[in-house]
Amino acid sequence: MKSSGHIIWLTIGLVIFLGLQPGIIYAKAVKDTSGICLECHSKKAEELTKKAIVHQPVKDGKCTWCHNPHASKHAGLLSYTGSDLCYNCHDQKKGFMGKVVHKPVEEGNCLSCHDAHSSDIKGLLKKAGGEGGFSCHPKESIINKKNVHPEIKNGRCIVCHNPHSSDREGLLIKDKKSLCAGCHPGTGEVFAKAHLGYKVSGTDCLGCHSPHSSDKKGMMKASLHKPFEDNKCSSCHPVGSASVIKSGISLCTECHEAVVAGFNKINSHFFIGGGADNFCNNCHNPHASDEKYLLKDKEARVCYECHNDTKEYVAKSNHKHPKLGICSDCHTSHGSNSQFFLTKGDDTCAMENCHSTQGKFTHPIGEKIIDPRSRTPMTCTTCHNPMGSPEKAVLRFEKDRELCEQCHQM
Amino acid sequence: MRYKSEVKSQKSEVRGQKCCKSPVTSRRLVTWCLMSFYSVFCILPFATTAFSGGKRGVRTVAVITGDEIMGRLKQPSGLFFDEIKKRLYIADSGNGRLVSFDAEFKYMAELTNEAMTLPSSVVRNKEGHFFILDRGKGEIVFIDLEKKVVKSFPLSGVPSAKEQFVPGRMAIDADNKLYIIDKLNRRLIIVEQTGAFVREVTVKDKGFFGFTDVRVDDKGEIYAIDAIAGVVYIFDDKGGIVSRFGSRENKKDNFRFPTSLAVDKNGLIYIMDQHAGRILVFDKKGVFQYAVSRPGVKEGELSYPSYIFIDKEGRIYTIDGNRIQVFQEEKG
Repeated sequence: MKSSGHIIWLTIGLVIFLGLQPGIIYAKAVKDTSGICLECHSKKAEELTKKAIVHQPVKDGKCTWCHNPHASKHAGLLSYTGSDLCYNCHDQKKGFMGKVVHKPVEEGNCLSCHDAHSSDIKGLLKKAGGEGGFSCHPKESIINKKNVHPEIKNGRCIVCHNPHSSDREGLLIKDKKSLCAGCHPGTGEVFAKAHLGYKVSGTDCLGCHSPHSSDKKGMMKASLHKPFEDNKCSSCHPVGSASVIKSGISLCTECHEAVVAGFNKINSHFFIGGGADNFCNNCHNPHASDEKYLLKDKEARVCYECHNDTKEYVAKSNHKHPKLGICSDCHTSHGSNSQFFLTKGDDTCAMENCHSTQGKFTHPIGEKIIDPRSRTPMTCTTCHNPMGSPEKAVLRFEKDRELCEQCHQM
Repeated sequence: MRYKSEVKSQKSEVRGQKCCKSPVTSRRLVTWCLMSFYSVFCILPFATTAFSGGKRGVRTVAVITGDEIMGRLKQPSGLFFDEIKKRLYIADSGNGRLVSFDAEFKYMAELTNEAMTLPSSVVRNKEGHFFILDRGKGEIVFIDLEKKVVKSFPLSGVPSAKEQFVPGRMAIDADNKLYIIDKLNRRLIIVEQTGAFVREVTVKDKGFFGFTDVRVDDKGEIYAIDAIAGVVYIFDDKGGIVSRFGSRENKKDNFRFPTSLAVDKNGLIYIMDQHAGRILVFDKKGVFQYAVSRPGVKEGELSYPSYIFIDKEGRIYTIDGNRIQVFQEEKG
């Protein structure tokens, strides 16, 4: 009697367990359920008839491919959540994987762009063309200049970018040296004249031109190197040649001699990195840039190119210093006599417009206040890690007890 | 508050676990047997795996941060233990001086000179002459204390390269040859005591960014590290690559930001990983042996360490921030 009771309970458990399993298993047994489903979901049925494009399983009446008609642990009685549901039919390996993956795809949030049932827009998109992109990538930061690239104006971001994944930075569909040539072949008299006779085909157009919008003629980037702006190419290049008149950094230091002194510090960024032909070009663009100091990319991206482990650490941290993207606010990029290339050593945090009152009403810090653990003077970074922390206020330890107990035994 | 360079010898203890005796009934005996079987065949194999290549204990021999007499260390960036005179020399860069300590790591003297602004890397030859990398001037400085000579150390016969010569860290071999990193040209320049060029060592690897630190062992084998790529190179005495290992890819046991290296008398290579806050030890083939220390600011821990040196007695010298720590590895 007792054993039969066990069998009954086990059977019930098994039925419940199988019932909660992904509906895709169940769906194999059921062919067309739309008649049954839409009987109640009449509003959905009406919506489907109005839209131009209907998702194939919906069209085929296979509601149970995605939904479990009885029970599910996911909202909407879905068999799976996020992209796991979509990848049942849409092979993840075909177009959704790459060195660079669009954030919504990475997060499995396909429905942030697509409607699962029907849409009037091709690809079951929720918003047409660029409008979809602009809902996350603010329009005012991309096409805020006088001259706008016509494809963006027409909302055709996908002419250059893959919305799902790519092996190239910026989700570009082609490498930078051949991206533009698809529409701008780089031939003809006008093209040659605009480039003062220099052979630029096969080079990175984005080195000088802003691909989205620009206030300058020819979509040039905002800041131009003076000789470049003055069309004095021969300051650096032999006439008509892409080669340079001097090797290495001497090409730059002839004009920027004072900059060298900035590298002669205890901590110096004097090294060859990134494989650039010219050391300076590791960080700077010699022609044009949309960034300050003619940086070749956004500041943090330039730094993270070598400091990739810092990028990963920052990404993982729950609490971050709000200025983490602007490295030069705290660090000197060429050289410094302070640890971590800090701009003003231990006083960096207390710089004007930042934490100027810190240390005056908080825990004492400075040369005379010695951390008993390290036997070195206490600074802001004794307790805070500005590069990120799991604790609030980027504290190195939990604030209520652990932090203080490091030095003050209770 | 008083502070002084302390000499400390604290041996970390290994605590034995106490066993509690209890009456053993037949049921307990069965349970005990089963648990023993489970432990031997299920848990121990995993435990062995987990701890092979684990951590090695160290005891702190000395911690040097400064005292009232010598003042505080400020941005020390290089050190060298002279095996002949048994003295430790620290390039106290921020204070623009060279500081010496005796075999007990007690402060002895300091050397300052107008010709030396930001001393960084330091080596000493058999004759007692110093060669110091001066980061402020971007050149090597030669010091003969007996003759009271402090002057630039020009190199001669170095093949010209694309970039100007910007010296980086240095090492010295048993024959008194200097190994100087040529930062911008991504090569190692080997010169005689006279400054005469002997040969250069470089790497043709695609992902090579340049050398960050260099050491030479008694056999003349050269050890160098590329911090950006996270690769350790071992060259023979002719400059041919014997071995290379390591990377900074985001994988287990890889480097995060390896800034310095040292080689012990047994040929083990100690890599100082600045961002990981620990020392990783490898054999010459690049097989990981064990890790030393852990991130932190307490004694024996490492807070963004930048430099490592090992003397003939196996003592490990580290620089983390404004602190020098001397460790001795625990045997076994």
